[in-house]
Amino acid sequence: MTTPLHLFFNAFCCGTAALGFGLLFNSPSRAFLAIWIGGFVTGIIKFSILFYLFPDSFIMASFLAALSIGILTIPAAHWRHVPPDVLSIPAVIPLIPGVFAYKTMMGLMKLTGDTKTGYAAILSDTVHYGTLTLFIVLSLALGVSVPMRLLRVTTVKRLRFWNK
Amino acid sequence: MLQNEFDVKQFGALLIDIGIALLSSGASSSRIRNTMERFANACNLEPHFIVNPKSIAVTLINADRAIVFTGLHSTHVVGVNFKTLSGLSRLSWRFIEEEMTLQQVREELVRLQTLPPYSRWLVLLMVSLAGSAFCFTFGGDFKQMCITFIATFAGLFINQEMKKYQFNLYICTYVGALVATFTTSLFYMARLDIQLEQAYATCVLFLIPGVPLINSFSDLIDGQTLSGIERGAVALLHTLAIAFGLSTILFLYKLYS
Repeated sequence: MTTPLHLFFNAFCCGTAALGFGLLFNSPSRAFLAIWIGGFVTGIIKFSILFYLFPDSFIMASFLAALSIGILTIPAAHWRHVPPDVLSIPAVIPLIPGVFAYKTMMGLMKLTGDTKTGYAAILSDTVHYGTLTLFIVLSLALGVSVPMRLLRVTTVKRLRFWNK
Repeated sequence: MLQNEFDVKQFGALLIDIGIALLSSGASSSRIRNTMERFANACNLEPHFIVNPKSIAVTLINADRAIVFTGLHSTHVVGVNFKTLSGLSRLSWRFIEEEMTLQQVREELVRLQTLPPYSRWLVLLMVSLAGSAFCFTFGGDFKQMCITFIATFAGLFINQEMKKYQFNLYICTYVGALVATFTTSLFYMARLDIQLEQAYATCVLFLIPGVPLINSFSDLIDGQTLSGIERGAVALLHTLAIAFGLSTILFLYKLYS
């Protein structure tokens, strides 16, 4: 299942998800292409790390994807004349760990129920998925917001990417 | 520019309105501060702000170190509107570069705030597509993607209806999650023998509070700790509302055991 075609499909779907959220957040139409590309790049980075480099390292894959989006939206915001947040927030939405959050919640519901059968296994699963969810969300928020601060800029408008 | 007192008062009121427009369209605290500072500096005024979760106070100081304006304004509407956000960011640069009159800025602000949103059906369609795309990236098959599409459509439709009637936002989120999960459960009840885990997990993702979550972090990093905590709490409550909506249905159908 880890063929390049599968990777491409996954990235394509990430792009579509990002675009859908761009529309939900009422982004200006000039930003749509950049948001789709952002989602696509997110997918490519996350899934190529998961498929080929470090399987199961979800946190690092999400962090690196979010960090790349944080860096790439700086020139992209310049290009599309929108604030970087308008591009970066929809673009990292595909990284939200939906299934892990769901499994955590299911685990928590089970923990409130019958305590006799398999309690330890359920507890360890729930804690595992819960920490994964927490750290993935933290890493993507951090990855997006750090690059602008590292450049010590408050606006991308006055940045120069080449010598004029 | 802005010689007499009347002008300064008008400018101050405009500045607060711009801040409030940014606040109610989902800008982070530092973006609000930067944009307002840009406007004030263009008129050689030194601005001082308090940016609260739902109100903004501004004091303007002129070149003679005299306080020329103080004002406070509050809002009830806090949502997400990136069209207004990017329009205001552009407006601030035009204000510096083009010598606009206050009347022009005011007109542009009103225009930006009354921009029509995208057609409701287009949003429903694209967000539902986004939901099924999500389902695919989490390993769902084609059937689950279709179920997620229908569930997201139903959930978002009800969510939008409830927002129209101005229910509490967390209740809107709860009911949205409830309806989306219920729609997915209809396929479970039909005994189609489909694995529904991914569909359940992704049909509520259209409700995730992505903007408060990331703004919360940006604010915390920028030292705007109070507003960061407030936005974090909003994001957390929305997430809890989603979880409650989901777990209500899962509990009713005893899907957790």
